[in-house]
Amino acid sequence: MTTTIRPEPSSPLAPITRLFGRVETGLWFPIGVVLSLFIFFSLMTDSFATLRNFSAVSGQAATLLIVCLGATFIVLMGSIDLSVGAIVLLVGAVSVTVLNAFSIGWLVIPFAALVGAGLGLVNGLIYTKGKIPSFIVTLGTLSVFSGIALTLLDGRAIQFNAPGLENISIGQWIPRLPNIALWAILAWAVLVFIGQRTRFGRYMYLIGGGEQVARTAGVPVERYKLYAFALSGLLAGFGAVLAVARLGAAGPSLGSDLLLNSLAAIVVGGTSLAGGVGGVHRTLIGVLIIAILDNGLNLMGVSQFLQMIIKGLVVIAAVLVSRKSGADQVIK
Amino acid sequence: MSFSSTTDHRPGPPPGAVDSLLEVRNLSKSYGPIRVISDVSFDVPRRSVVTLVGENGAGKSTIFNILSGLTAQDSGTVRLDGQDFTPGSHRKAVARGITRVFQEQSLVQNVPVYENLLLGEEARFTRFGQWIDRNAMIRAARQIIEEAGLDVDVRRKTGDYDFSTRQSIEIARACLTPTILRGVAEPLVLLDEPTSALDRRDEEAFFTLVNKIRRYGSLLFVSHRLTEVLDISDVIYVLKDGAMVTRVTPDETDEHRLHGFMVGRERAADYYYENRQQPPGTAAPAIRAEGVQVLPDGPKVTLEVRPGEILGIGGLLDSGKSRLGKAIAGVIRPLAGRVAIGDGPLRHPEIGHSTRKGLGYIPAERLTEGIIAGFPTAWNFSTGSGGDLFSNRFGLWRGRKERSATLAHIDALAIRSATPDLTMARLSGGNQQKVVLARWLERKPDVLILDNPTRGVDAGAKQEIYRVLRDLTDQGVAIILITDELLELIGLSNRILILQHGGVVAEVPAPPDAKPEEQRLVALMLSGPGRPGAASPPSPAPAADVPAEAKPAILEAAQ
Repeated sequence: MTTTIRPEPSSPLAPITRLFGRVETGLWFPIGVVLSLFIFFSLMTDSFATLRNFSAVSGQAATLLIVCLGATFIVLMGSIDLSVGAIVLLVGAVSVTVLNAFSIGWLVIPFAALVGAGLGLVNGLIYTKGKIPSFIVTLGTLSVFSGIALTLLDGRAIQFNAPGLENISIGQWIPRLPNIALWAILAWAVLVFIGQRTRFGRYMYLIGGGEQVARTAGVPVERYKLYAFALSGLLAGFGAVLAVARLGAAGPSLGSDLLLNSLAAIVVGGTSLAGGVGGVHRTLIGVLIIAILDNGLNLMGVSQFLQMIIKGLVVIAAVLVSRKSGADQVIK
Repeated sequence: MSFSSTTDHRPGPPPGAVDSLLEVRNLSKSYGPIRVISDVSFDVPRRSVVTLVGENGAGKSTIFNILSGLTAQDSGTVRLDGQDFTPGSHRKAVARGITRVFQEQSLVQNVPVYENLLLGEEARFTRFGQWIDRNAMIRAARQIIEEAGLDVDVRRKTGDYDFSTRQSIEIARACLTPTILRGVAEPLVLLDEPTSALDRRDEEAFFTLVNKIRRYGSLLFVSHRLTEVLDISDVIYVLKDGAMVTRVTPDETDEHRLHGFMVGRERAADYYYENRQQPPGTAAPAIRAEGVQVLPDGPKVTLEVRPGEILGIGGLLDSGKSRLGKAIAGVIRPLAGRVAIGDGPLRHPEIGHSTRKGLGYIPAERLTEGIIAGFPTAWNFSTGSGGDLFSNRFGLWRGRKERSATLAHIDALAIRSATPDLTMARLSGGNQQKVVLARWLERKPDVLILDNPTRGVDAGAKQEIYRVLRDLTDQGVAIILITDELLELIGLSNRILILQHGGVVAEVPAPPDAKPEEQRLVALMLSGPGRPGAASPPSPAPAADVPAEAKPAILEAAQ
């Protein structure tokens, strides 16, 4: 029998699929969008295709990417995490407070990650124990976390007092590449590995693709849902401390654009809200699309309001085009 | 196969002779490769009660689905009142005068009864576009309730009434709204097991209502209760395996002969490898279940299965046999009861724990519980063993092992056209089921619980699955086989439990040289007064309508 087994017909994407261990269809479209946006903005403005600008874009996109990595797993398993932006805000506020109270220096990074994981765990516990839809749970905690954070900050931006700490984000161990972007790429690589090569990653796909099937086969579904929310919180916490280090302060607007941007990036990247389809590797492309769009429109001098309109339309169009045509499924 | 060629009961009216309200001709329907009804023809004369009887899976529900516009036939014609009937949607079927009472209740619990009775008819009671005239609605609803002979206050919340009354309300709605509200002169009401949820009082009201409607409209029934079928039907059609077997009238048949029509098939011993059936030894049970309760206020089930034994569990669709299987495996939490696997202690079953202790569970609903159709074969195969066999202790996935194990099982079970990377959706039902089977074979289980393992599986794959089951019992695996297929139940099992309403009503031994008759099992499934919601467990005492030959089995069960 084994002699009849042939590999799938090799596609131009073969190197990528070999790397990720799974046949990926429909990756071309988002990659094409990235390239088109790149060419478009290069032609439209002189300042876009410069090393200096790429440094700026990578710095801006890094937090979004880190936060999206964890949230992608949540979407992959068929749930949703609306609270990542609020976790970033709260962890940022807590980190600044702690930094100013105790001189813990770089230890604030694991501290922030743990606080984030704890907040994610709160989401996960309410979701799995309370059997409430994750949309509702995280909509609630979105408000709760933001409220606590704004109370801590007293509604103002608070600077941290830890000399040299900003280097973990804005330093450049690799020339022209801000460290925060380096962190983001490293985190992406680790998470892609987790998604494709570990039990946790496989279970995320199984739960998203057929929760009932996974449960019936003995997969500890609830436990892995908890893990996923904790992971999402951990990465949001990590992203928060890097963002704070980059900005030198935590303010009320920290993370405020992450709610929409993270979901947009995940979905544009090709992870389906229905669950089971997509993956962390695709989210990088989604983040690039959102980041390039933001940056390019800014450089072109397009007004903030028009930018919002364009971004919204791009998200809808990207999903509309890449969606499986004629798929007979429930859309919610 | 058309019914006219299968039996000497020359069925069907001569063409054109009878003025029928509904004429169904050569209806066929397939779901994928599975033919669910094939070449079915029948008539519903005006002002009459017609009943379809048949085993589970005989195609009755599919016919109802076609008539009520939920699905469309592949071929064949339906004529209603002499005109072509191709509704396309349930709404349009209702507009043509065909209403239906579903087996599951479709009433909204937390609104008043009158809103349920007039659901979808609100437009008749509006003034100035959107203003709903409640009083007019209540008046109309009262008229329906009075006509149906029910004692119900239409302004009370639907959920305040018990299950039986709610069922009566639903029946009243289906039977009376066409005439009272829409002015349909000759309604056709489809009733799917209407009385199984009714208590005695509501049942009487129901039969009165049936006789009322018979004066102007027609009713098409599906029922398992053959005594009742014989009482109220003008004509009975028997379906088997999606084809019409015969048409009879109540005065020319009896319950026993109806059973015969329903199941009458040749049972081939070698198809089920009956010669390989071993008497279970005296070894300690591989699985013990104690006091497992699956229905509220239902009875408790205690059973044990020895290594190498196949315990069959049969019963009607509402007997709770699937729930029992899930509860014993730990897929759902039983209301009460504990299970011990091997020499382990009795504990509340939980599927994750059960699988680690050597149990495998194959669900009946393959597409929603068995496989993820969009995922590769290898992924579906390894699903049951992600926690141990296919990941190491650091949580890294063992992809190469997964792949080679998948290939080995594809080879061993002859899963045709499968490769580890092929999505499951591309495999046939039989091959999909083999992948689910392989999922547990890889774990070398001690206990397997299978719920309708051959549903939607072609004959060839069926027999291969039977062969694997015999191989497993040879190796000392204990098997619980839950199935709607009587022949499979009889052919494979060492011992058969018959379930009604979540409780065991009979235990029938089935050694290879003395397999029980199908009719006897059917009689046991139908026997007794047990109904859902009955507080007391159905007594094993034979009811009046059990044919004489069923009694020995019941006595055996009582020992």
